[in-house]
Amino acid sequence: NLRNTHINIGLRQLSRRTIASSARRQLDNTVKEKQKLFQEDNGMPIHLKGGSKDALLYRATMTLTVFGAGYVVYVLFTAAMPKKPQ
Amino acid sequence: MAHQAHAYHMVDPSPWPLTGAVAALLVTSGTAIWFHFNSTILMTLGTMLLLLTMYQWWRDIIREGTFQGHHTPPVQKGLRYGMILFITSEVFFFLGFFWAFYHSSLAPTPDLGGCWPPAGITTLDPFEVPLLNTAVLLASGVTVTWAHHSIMEGDRKPAIQSLALTILLGFYFTFLQGLEYFEAPFTIADGVYGSTFFVATGFHGLHVIIGSTFLAVCLLRQIQYHFTSEHHFGFEAAAWYWHFVDVVWLFLYISIYWWGS
Repeated sequence: NLRNTHINIGLRQLSRRTIASSARRQLDNTVKEKQKLFQEDNGMPIHLKGGSKDALLYRATMTLTVFGAGYVVYVLFTAAMPKKPQ
Repeated sequence: MAHQAHAYHMVDPSPWPLTGAVAALLVTSGTAIWFHFNSTILMTLGTMLLLLTMYQWWRDIIREGTFQGHHTPPVQKGLRYGMILFITSEVFFFLGFFWAFYHSSLAPTPDLGGCWPPAGITTLDPFEVPLLNTAVLLASGVTVTWAHHSIMEGDRKPAIQSLALTILLGFYFTFLQGLEYFEAPFTIADGVYGSTFFVATGFHGLHVIIGSTFLAVCLLRQIQYHFTSEHHFGFEAAAWYWHFVDVVWLFLYISIYWWGS
């Protein structure tokens, strides 16, 4: 029927357009979406406002920070007090 | 969202100053531990932490400016002052190494043979690769200006192309310098000539890498539509830094490569 023919022609034209644009690797402008995400009134601080990826990266960084701070104190302490037989 | 009755940016509490400070402690202590006890764990841990801190801190600044609109004109003015002051501090940093070079080269001591370049040092021909490097950096100054004008005119494709070309020229410079370092007939251990040459050009090379990285981030942001024709301070800051790196090279070339040869 006529409606389906129109849809098929439309789809063929659309696929031609998407193939052409994917060949040129067009990037979509997602700034508006990001602006919406980061202006959401959810009380989250900026470093966690992006979602679960932020939380994961933050936790990994903080773990290294705490472990590193402890480890450096240990290393410097032992370096300052070597166990040398007299 | 609470509304502020002023145009300034009251930042959210952030963990990155703390993680950055611990990273600095780990990198410095780690370097000392590496020198004395042959272990690189601490230094590596510190470097990883430093990279994580830089990535997340600057990611957050992009979010605050581009996505939350906090970079109003007065805030941007502060950022401009900040970048100018930082570059000024870097000028003084390099000034010290130029002072060292001129101190040793203007009055060469008897143990050098009373001459500059010192006896036994085969200098690099300033009209070979060093001259090409000068041309490469000057050209990159042109391409980064082209990129700026393209951004201001809203020409998306030329902006991306000229910015990419600038970065490629930066990589080419680094590649050529790497070759020169490998082929040089003298090392950092070759007296005060070697010390002044490699410390001054070495720190310059590090700044070329930093500048190229900053420009690469700007390229990614330009591709992702972050910059508008009116507001693109991140790019301007990168371009200022890049011009500074170019000017330092010109002083290095004239002083160390040409006059000092």
